[in-house]
Amino acid sequence: MTRLLPTSALRTGAALMALTVFASAQQAVTAYTNATILPGGKPAMSNATLVVSGGKVIALGGSALKAPEGAIVIDCKGKTITPGLIDASFQSGTKSEDLNEQSDEVTPHLRVLDSIDPEDPRFQRARNAGVTTVHVMPGTRNVIGGLGCVLKTHGTDPKEMVIKEDASMRIVMGAEPSMSNRAIRGGRVNSMYYRRPTTRMGVIWAVRRAFYDAKEALNKTQGAPGDAPPSPGTQILTQVLQGKVTAVTTARSEQDLRTALRIADEFGYQTIIDEAQDAYMVADELAGKKAVVMLGAPSAEAVAGSARSDGAAPRAGTVAVLAAKGITFVITTGTNTAALPLINEAMFAVRNGLGPQQALDAITIEPAKLLGLSDRIGSLAPGKDADFVIWSQNPLDPAAVAESVLINGQSVSQPR
Amino acid sequence: MNHSFLRIAIACTAIAIPAISQDLVAIKAKTIHTITGPSITDGVILLQNGRIQKIAKAADVEIPWSATVIDASDKVVMPTYVLAHSSGGMRGANESMQNVPWLSVADAVDPASTYFEGMLRNGVGTIHVLPGNNTLMAGSGMVLRPFGRTVEDMTVADNTGMKLSLMTSNGSRLQKIREMRRAIQSIREYLANYEREKAEFEKEKAAGAIPADKKWEKEIDRKQKAAVELIEKKMKGWLYVPSFAELDEALRMSKELDLNMVLGANLDEAMPLLTKLKRPVVLDATIEYFETDPETRKEEQHCSARMLADAGVPFALSLGSAGPTSYPWWQLGTCMRNGLSRQQALAALTMVPAKMLGLDDQVGSLAVGKLGNIQILSGDPTSATTWVETVVLEGEVVYERKTDPRLQYLFEAAEKAAAPQTPKVDDNKKKDEGQ
Amino acid sequence: MQILNQNRTTGALLLTTLLAVPTAAQDVLVQASKIIVAYSTEAPNNMVLKDSALLIRNGKIAFVGADIPAEARRAARVIDYGNATISPGFVLAATTLGRDVDLGEGAIAFTPDLLTADAFDPWLEQLDTLAPAGVTSFGLVPSARNVAGGIGAVGKPGLEQGRLIAPEVFVGFSVSRSARNQERQPTSLMGAHQMLRESFTEARDGVKIGPDLAILRQVMSGQRPAFFYADTFAEINAVLDIGASFNFAPIILGGGQSERVIEKLAKRGAGIVLNTLSPMMRRADLELPAKLNKAGIPFCFAGRPDQLRLSAALAVRNGLSRSTASTALTRTPATMLGQQANVGALRTGCGADFVVFQGDFIDLSARHIATWVDGKLAHGASAKQAMKTRNTNLTGGR
Repeated sequence: MTRLLPTSALRTGAALMALTVFASAQQAVTAYTNATILPGGKPAMSNATLVVSGGKVIALGGSALKAPEGAIVIDCKGKTITPGLIDASFQSGTKSEDLNEQSDEVTPHLRVLDSIDPEDPRFQRARNAGVTTVHVMPGTRNVIGGLGCVLKTHGTDPKEMVIKEDASMRIVMGAEPSMSNRAIRGGRVNSMYYRRPTTRMGVIWAVRRAFYDAKEALNKTQGAPGDAPPSPGTQILTQVLQGKVTAVTTARSEQDLRTALRIADEFGYQTIIDEAQDAYMVADELAGKKAVVMLGAPSAEAVAGSARSDGAAPRAGTVAVLAAKGITFVITTGTNTAALPLINEAMFAVRNGLGPQQALDAITIEPAKLLGLSDRIGSLAPGKDADFVIWSQNPLDPAAVAESVLINGQSVSQPR
Repeated sequence: MNHSFLRIAIACTAIAIPAISQDLVAIKAKTIHTITGPSITDGVILLQNGRIQKIAKAADVEIPWSATVIDASDKVVMPTYVLAHSSGGMRGANESMQNVPWLSVADAVDPASTYFEGMLRNGVGTIHVLPGNNTLMAGSGMVLRPFGRTVEDMTVADNTGMKLSLMTSNGSRLQKIREMRRAIQSIREYLANYEREKAEFEKEKAAGAIPADKKWEKEIDRKQKAAVELIEKKMKGWLYVPSFAELDEALRMSKELDLNMVLGANLDEAMPLLTKLKRPVVLDATIEYFETDPETRKEEQHCSARMLADAGVPFALSLGSAGPTSYPWWQLGTCMRNGLSRQQALAALTMVPAKMLGLDDQVGSLAVGKLGNIQILSGDPTSATTWVETVVLEGEVVYERKTDPRLQYLFEAAEKAAAPQTPKVDDNKKKDEGQ
Repeated sequence: MQILNQNRTTGALLLTTLLAVPTAAQDVLVQASKIIVAYSTEAPNNMVLKDSALLIRNGKIAFVGADIPAEARRAARVIDYGNATISPGFVLAATTLGRDVDLGEGAIAFTPDLLTADAFDPWLEQLDTLAPAGVTSFGLVPSARNVAGGIGAVGKPGLEQGRLIAPEVFVGFSVSRSARNQERQPTSLMGAHQMLRESFTEARDGVKIGPDLAILRQVMSGQRPAFFYADTFAEINAVLDIGASFNFAPIILGGGQSERVIEKLAKRGAGIVLNTLSPMMRRADLELPAKLNKAGIPFCFAGRPDQLRLSAALAVRNGLSRSTASTALTRTPATMLGQQANVGALRTGCGADFVVFQGDFIDLSARHIATWVDGKLAHGASAKQAMKTRNTNLTGGR
């Protein structure tokens, strides 16, 4: 059952759908005028105009900027335009079995891109809520799960949707990689799960062993004849050590956060910290290491599911702590099943003390920078992808609706 | 008589009077949302003995010198929210035996439950607590204020309704409906039996077989009393309807027994039936949900509040026990996101539930004569950044954000981080420098 | 055309057909008012003969129609099916004949060099269900439980026992849900994809490779068709990816979500063996065959033998042409198995495997009269019995 939008929204929405499709087909120019524009990373602009053509932003300006000659003009009076939102840790609907290759707890070379289904309903939900780009990583059942990728949320083929392959390699600290592995009892080993770690110590040991092997492989300048080449997994790890692939360490509890930083130090690689519910307890260390944090579902009052056994206790004030300590962080939906749509996570962050500008940046330009894609997404600026959202009002307002969501200048949202 | 003695005497009397109200309270506010009338800017509310005596612009009110003044002159003031149906705050909200109409939530409510603390934090002042949804005939509820050390302290009204439910946790829908009908039928039979016995007694008395001064002493069995009151429509019934499939039966029962209905989600198929609803309903906490079309496999988003608004049926909102649906502002936001007006949304947490509870002359809006149940907010009630600063129930301050331990716990690290860092002076250094 | 002479050999005819004892060397002349020699996706290209005959010699089609030499015609035993229709028997492209357990090595997922022929039992019960359903040949495929299951065979049913006509034909792979097993590698689709990729890479680049990877080389060189179990979008995509990287056109088994990858399938020249259709399916699933055909993607059906006709009928009802549906039951699966010279059509040299229907078999109301395999009656009535029973007039409900 479709709901009836207020007339003005209907007018804009319908106009948009019809005209932007037409526009991109004809390489015509479309100007969105009279809007409040939050360009991402910069202060708000009122009575502003956004000009789009060929899937890119051509111009952005205040009331002084006039729509170009021959452009299709769409009046966005009363609306707010933001860049398309970016979720830097997005859980796709792929079954958890397919997000984790459990036959080995260290699988750095496996790619989650192989299991993406573009018609996953979560992509549609994300789109309709204004999210245009997501970073999807393998699951949390493996100590080193594999390679994540960055995709736009609309398309028919993952290869078309992906804008960065091998964007990250996921390392997981904590209880999840060791859960439901079996300890040998009675001397009988009849499952591969006996080989996997059953304790936190075992998990960390697996990480260290993997990186140790990688370091050895890196330091070997000449291999003896007959030496097997390093395994595909070790090759990826050497790339992490060389800084060519970004490590993302999922750590929730205080203990795991400290361990994540310690291991990274030990082997000399940079890591992004993911989930980080207990970050407020480790804030000074994070600030000291200039760590970048992806805060998972900060609105949630508890960690859901098996991850709960990590013992992390999320607190509403965490966003304010990170901001006060000057720690670079982004807001994501993460692995918590109770996560709200990304814009609502940002809304709760503002409620809990984060400045509105910073909250919006944390779901637009900051994740773009974190993913190394700020040259094309994350803010509205000439030359960047025309990924943007037209909201009925300020998006941090509970009554705000994403009336139109566009990727590369094309409307991708369903009318509600 | 010296002053100190007088002071002590006054102090003693102050303590002796049940602290439901201080005699006079004046609340100054930037904005007063009365709900039923126009909003007032720069206004004052006067409370006496726990009730609203006057609401007007500050210029038009003279605050008595003896009044306790609550200065909210930069804040927003409105009535506390009313929940027409809730199963929170109890130890065990559902009995496993299916037919237990004689139970009462009075025996299950836990005044120390963090649920009530949470309700105050969210500005809720009146809660109709009923048993859960898992029992066929679950027992009676009561209207409580979420403040007090004992259930008696918290009671606003007792025996306010009998909870019924068509939810099937085990067994089929058909079975549940049949059980319900049988249960109601057996109560009717019991009542008929009782009436008949009484009539026979009177007949025999009239015929002289029983002495004329003997009175009919047999009372309605205690276990059946509440159920009988339901059948006789002396007590309101509250029926939980899990989905549209039970709605038909629910409408039939509602007509027969004059029931109020609490609707679950999954109403999208029931639009034609919804228009037959002639009375307000209560909505479950989840009002926005997704349904997957089996043919196209596409997801569609539905909002039950919107459906009822389209059908012209007034509704009361519920709050969830955890997560975003536990915040009134989020529920209001969901309604407005789906096209409802601010007034419709606010009414669903104030006057509509007040009316359903028959307490619309007491709560639900700020009007002269009503109870002084007031929440002081840091901003507009529909904004995500608004916090409840103070809650006043019947003239008494029962909650203040600045002393809320839970919020202190959640934000202490943030407060510390935000506090300006005082340079730590090395004590040893001090010693060396001969300080 | 000669009309059948009801002569004194009829009795002997009946006897011999009923006993189904191979009459060494005597040819059989099968006549009917309509004989479809071969189906084609384009209706005008169907090879149809009216009031014609086939000459069967040693279990194969020796001559067709006007080409039948006169003496052969005279010497042959005649079976006349009157105004029935004879058409090629159905080919069941992929089946495990109920022996999935024997056709999947459980401990390891990658066993491309195992032979399904080694697990074939000519007296399997399931073989008896084939001829009554009109199926005259089948591909014996490894289980979906193995990422590389082994080498499939092609066989035929018979009146008493079945046989394999080609023991080592195609290779069976799988990335479907059954291939992902939480108890051994791979547990995930990523893992299955990686396993295939690594194996094919080694097969292509390795210097000394074992018998298992040698099979993969045969797939890459086009020597052997490769069948892949894959149902969902992500699975089919993974298979097409491997096919593209290692230069072969896979045949997808299952293919439930192929609609979403149609362009890619067409580009890669892939074929699909669809799961049999049922009336309960969504409209989109029932229209899939028509869509595949429109995109030029060859497809056929596999599943329960008795649901092949139903699948064809449902597909036709949902937009597929009759001739394509008929082809999907006969020539297409034969081609996919590389057996088009032997089965799927009634051309000279093909096996004498055909079905006899009163009417067009796509019409579910058409009566199935007989199935012949290797020139012998495997199910149903000989001509005489068929003629006898066909005139039952059912009147009722008065």
